[in-house]
Amino acid sequence: MASTKVPEVRDITRIERIGAHSHIRGLGLDDALEPRQVSQGMVGQLASRRAAGIILEMIKDGHIAGRAVLIAGQPGTGKTAIAMGIAQSLGPDTPFTALAGSEIFSLEMSKTEALSQAFRKAIGVRIKEETEIIEGEVVEIQIDRPATGTGAKVGKLTLKTTEMETIYDLGNKMIDSLSKEKVQAGDVITIDKATGKISKLGRSFTRARDYDAMGAQTQFVQCPEGELQKRKEVVHTVSLHEIDVINSRTQGFLALFSGDTGEIKSEVREQINAKVCEWREEGKAEIIPGVLFIDEVHMLDMECFSFLNRALESDLSPVLIMATNRGITRIRGTNYQSPHGIPIDLLDRLLIIATSPYTEKETRQILKIRCEEEDVELSEEAHTVLTRIGMETSLRYAIQLISTAGLVCRKRKGTEVQVEDIKRVYSLFLDEARSSQYMKEYQDSFLFNETQAAAMDTS
Amino acid sequence: MAVQGWSDALKSSKKTALINDGKRKVHYLFTDGKEMAEEYDLKTDELNVRKWRLKSTLGAQSSWQVEVGEPLSSLAVSLDSDVIKESGCNPTFMRKDTKTCFQWRIRNLPYPKDVFSVVVEPSDRCVIIKTSNKKYYKKFSIPDLDRSELPLDSSALSFTHANNTLIVSYKKPKEILALEQELMKELKKLKGNTEGDVDCKTQ
Repeated sequence: MASTKVPEVRDITRIERIGAHSHIRGLGLDDALEPRQVSQGMVGQLASRRAAGIILEMIKDGHIAGRAVLIAGQPGTGKTAIAMGIAQSLGPDTPFTALAGSEIFSLEMSKTEALSQAFRKAIGVRIKEETEIIEGEVVEIQIDRPATGTGAKVGKLTLKTTEMETIYDLGNKMIDSLSKEKVQAGDVITIDKATGKISKLGRSFTRARDYDAMGAQTQFVQCPEGELQKRKEVVHTVSLHEIDVINSRTQGFLALFSGDTGEIKSEVREQINAKVCEWREEGKAEIIPGVLFIDEVHMLDMECFSFLNRALESDLSPVLIMATNRGITRIRGTNYQSPHGIPIDLLDRLLIIATSPYTEKETRQILKIRCEEEDVELSEEAHTVLTRIGMETSLRYAIQLISTAGLVCRKRKGTEVQVEDIKRVYSLFLDEARSSQYMKEYQDSFLFNETQAAAMDTS
Repeated sequence: MAVQGWSDALKSSKKTALINDGKRKVHYLFTDGKEMAEEYDLKTDELNVRKWRLKSTLGAQSSWQVEVGEPLSSLAVSLDSDVIKESGCNPTFMRKDTKTCFQWRIRNLPYPKDVFSVVVEPSDRCVIIKTSNKKYYKKFSIPDLDRSELPLDSSALSFTHANNTLIVSYKKPKEILALEQELMKELKKLKGNTEGDVDCKTQ
């Protein structure tokens, strides 16, 4: 019978997926800002990492507004990796907004509006706000799971202070986070009433006598006094854009006819700038300039570049980091050629960091790091072969082969990827050079070939 | 004078009145962006509801905070009961004034009367309800007295207990009585719209 089955308890810890840059944990610099050869997932590219380290110090200082940096280099030389490294070393409190150059072309919003929103997302404001918290010692937790195994769980939590006791009803989310935090009777906890965030303060002194299996790091605290619910001031960081959105919602019945976001009026922005400056002068708030990272910056057009020129002059502007892999090319929206596809007047304001292609040793090292990240074991020979592939085709192609070769290896029940597995996937998947070679040979048999050939004749 | 400050703020606020199912409903919009709504019984002129709405530091509008009257129904809360809320079996605290007293009722308190002690704490400007069995504790201020900056007087305070309910009364000082009479006169002068909606101009 189905009903007698014991339901599986699903793990609530989230499984992280592996992205292209998930092995990057920082810039890999020591205290003197000297780059280590291999550190925090970064390999080689010493000069550009050192340069990025100096930029990082400037951002952390937070005094200088509106500086712009361009990371330029061939495809697959770690431009995005450097930007991710900066983001990781800044920590969670400094806003880091990343967008691709093509993201700003939307039908809902003008290009400059999208850029202004991105700029304002990259400026944080640390401000004090009052929230309601519940602080008390846990007397009892009671959680009822429905007999069928599915459906909502119901729970009750009894908390007390030295003066009073209250019973709370728990929702599903709350039950999950209580069991995740392993809260039990005798713990002193605080709960943020609005968000439901739980933090454990320690164990109550009254429970100090029951000495069962307690770690050395268990802290004992007094049972809280007075009322269970308190108003407390907490400091948190919000971006200027979030404040904009809160204040631009149309009030009253008009709110029904307008979307939540969309374009924000410049009057609202000006008001908020004035308000934030006022708070800063009164000492109520602190401005944290962050980083705006625009990848594939050559996708922006002339209007955006002139907007950037202007926006960088504002004293409420973040540090702008751009990345491009183009050489001398046409500026989008004009017929002029310019280095990196960026107009000279903007280039003049930029600090340019160049990345160079990786050497064979570095490529080998990067592939090793990626293998660890993707949990694939590689034999020594396979590693050498893969490095050769990486050098001759591209690093990205070699990285793609890791996981596919890993799968082939697992299918033949091997534990370590051998040269054969690499050969197999190398023959199955074409790299860019072989694909274009193939195209040249068999071009005639592809669809729409004639029209293209005709076009070529006329030119 | 302090009482003057509050009555001036009331006078300068933008008031909208509406008479609906036997209640006089008044909405105040103060110059600093605060909003207050009151409901009076038409027959007895007693205050049934008074609630406040403020703007948060970031400019977002918060929900209504009830000062006098039944707390807003928890229906909206129970719909998204993903987080935490007080269980229905807990004591509920509400304020319900009479003509001469500020009065608070705490329901669901099934303990004998000698468990409770109610004291005035002049230094914190608040009233504290304590229980000797450590089951209930409440510290609350009297906003009417705070607004008019009047002192708290422990002799004005009394309490009774019946039907699982603790009733705490505080006799209104004469300054408050005078202010309320004056306000009532002012409110009766307001042209209350008797029917349905307030005039809502269409484009």
